[in-house]
Amino acid sequence: MMQMKLIRKRHNEYVLLFTASICLAVWLGATFMLEAVFAFGAISLISLVLLVRQSRLLNDATLIWDNRILAVPSALISIPDRQMKKDTEETVVSTFGVLIGSRIYRWGLDGVHGVRLSAVQIDKERMYLTFGDKDQTMRVELLHGMLHKQTVVESAQKLWHETGVQAEISDW
Amino acid sequence: MNGLKPFNARRLSVAGFSFLFAYILSFQFEGQVLYSLLDLRGTDAGHYILTAIIAHFVGLFTCGLFVKSQAAAKSMMLGGMGLCLAATVPFFFPLPALWMGGLIVSGYFSGCAVAAWGFFLRAYTPKNERIKSCADVLIYSNLLMIAVNVVAMNRSTFFGLGLSVLCLVIGMVFIWMLPLEKENEQNKSIKNKTHGGIKNQLILLCLFVFIITINSGLMYQVINPAFEHLTGLVSWYWAAPYIVALAIMRNLPMKAKRSRILYMGMAMIMGAFISFMLLGRNTSDYLIVDTLMLGACGIFDLFWWSILGEMLDYSDNPAHTFGMGLSANVFGVLCGGVLGMAVTSMGLPGAEVAVIALTVVCVTLVMLPPLNHQLVLLLKSHAYLAAYDNMSQSQQTDIVRQVKTLEPLTVREQEVLQLILSGKSNREIAGALFISENTVKTHARSIFSKYDVSSRAELISTLLKNQTVG
Repeated sequence: MMQMKLIRKRHNEYVLLFTASICLAVWLGATFMLEAVFAFGAISLISLVLLVRQSRLLNDATLIWDNRILAVPSALISIPDRQMKKDTEETVVSTFGVLIGSRIYRWGLDGVHGVRLSAVQIDKERMYLTFGDKDQTMRVELLHGMLHKQTVVESAQKLWHETGVQAEISDW
Repeated sequence: MNGLKPFNARRLSVAGFSFLFAYILSFQFEGQVLYSLLDLRGTDAGHYILTAIIAHFVGLFTCGLFVKSQAAAKSMMLGGMGLCLAATVPFFFPLPALWMGGLIVSGYFSGCAVAAWGFFLRAYTPKNERIKSCADVLIYSNLLMIAVNVVAMNRSTFFGLGLSVLCLVIGMVFIWMLPLEKENEQNKSIKNKTHGGIKNQLILLCLFVFIITINSGLMYQVINPAFEHLTGLVSWYWAAPYIVALAIMRNLPMKAKRSRILYMGMAMIMGAFISFMLLGRNTSDYLIVDTLMLGACGIFDLFWWSILGEMLDYSDNPAHTFGMGLSANVFGVLCGGVLGMAVTSMGLPGAEVAVIALTVVCVTLVMLPPLNHQLVLLLKSHAYLAAYDNMSQSQQTDIVRQVKTLEPLTVREQEVLQLILSGKSNREIAGALFISENTVKTHARSIFSKYDVSSRAELISTLLKNQTVG
């Protein structure tokens, strides 16, 4: 929930920045302070670009949050042939992607030619999600924290229902 | 004569209508020939033009009341064009007393003849190809109109009138050669699958046509008088961008996203009025303003003409449906013209007039995207959804299975698809599956992608095209 709050807060900040800079630019324009108008005009433009990006991020994050399948306290991300990176922020796995902190890894949002979830493996401790497109594949490793096999089976079932990917359960 | 192949019948039908429409565009409906004649006699053009437009509107609107079969449509076209011919003769002579009557008669019967052509558009142009026939008639008639205008404005007005009448006569010959066919069985089956009529869709389309056409009337009154001094150029260039836009739209691949081009058209209309406000009144300025404005008109006209053409399949009386759609267009021209006249009669400076015109355009254009969206959804989904609704669950499943996807649907997507096909809105689907509306939209996009379609309507169309049931 904290992640969503952070993303929304950043979004609201950009809205404020954009509104303030636009108002200032108009006000300064009315008083014929041209240099200041250009400066605030540029700030408005930059804040608009940032706002658009943040709005998209918020939209994707909301979509992921609304369709969450699993929420876990930590995750590891790996890209084949690259160094593994550790991340300890709260992670949400959903029908349309994974939300790690305020970062988003999307799948299933851009049709069959976009990023797709390709494989899911679950063992006693971890869940491995492999996703990507034809150019790049990523793997997220999660400490799932599920203690009972029934819970794992239910999560796998939900993943299959929502994404069409059959999770491979091992070591149980 | 009935042995003519459908392809030839289609050509004949397109040719006949093109010549009839060329007569209307060059003379009867605000044509340059009529303007030149009225100018020549020093009469007040406003009353005559208004009378002709109103008569044309009434003709389009009422034709469907008494033309209810293809035979009656052919008789109406031939008879109506004959009466137009008779009513145009007095214009060769200095008989202004007869002119008003002539315009009423020709306006009314040309409207009836145009509406009656709906029967032939439906009979001889296959479904989904009406955009091409509509583009063809608009292109050919405008080319003919340009030829008549050039002659009328640069040579002799009466020679132009003669050419206009010749168009009418040639049109009559083509219509006379048109074969009559029995009611298309496919049309019958489609109509049987629909629940009720197409009243709501037609009203929505008429509203759309009315709003978009207000711009044309406004343009006539606001922009045209400003470039009156460029007579030679105006005579041939006026409709050139319109024709080019039609040709481009006609030849776009079927999968092209035409809705995006509509937005481009909106930007072009706004650009035209802004250019009109900022630029001068010389040749290059006219080229810019006219290209933007008429190009946009071409984009929009073909859009609604083709939708109207496709709607004929779901109508019991094509003359009624076609006439209604076109009468909305004429009514829009009328209202836009009156609005333009009111604005200009206040004696405001050019820039202010353009700003007012631009404001009206902006207000109308803001209304268009949602209207357009609803129209496409309603029109495309109406017949298909009704057909789908009549099938059993197993038949529905069979249809979905028959069409191959690029990637298998997930269970959730299958649930969403089932609800889409049963005619549920996104909100209703969201309520039924306990998910957000945004999620439904995302699933729908994914389904479209897997079926390689770009819209809900295309999805339904693709699925039902492959049906072997019922």
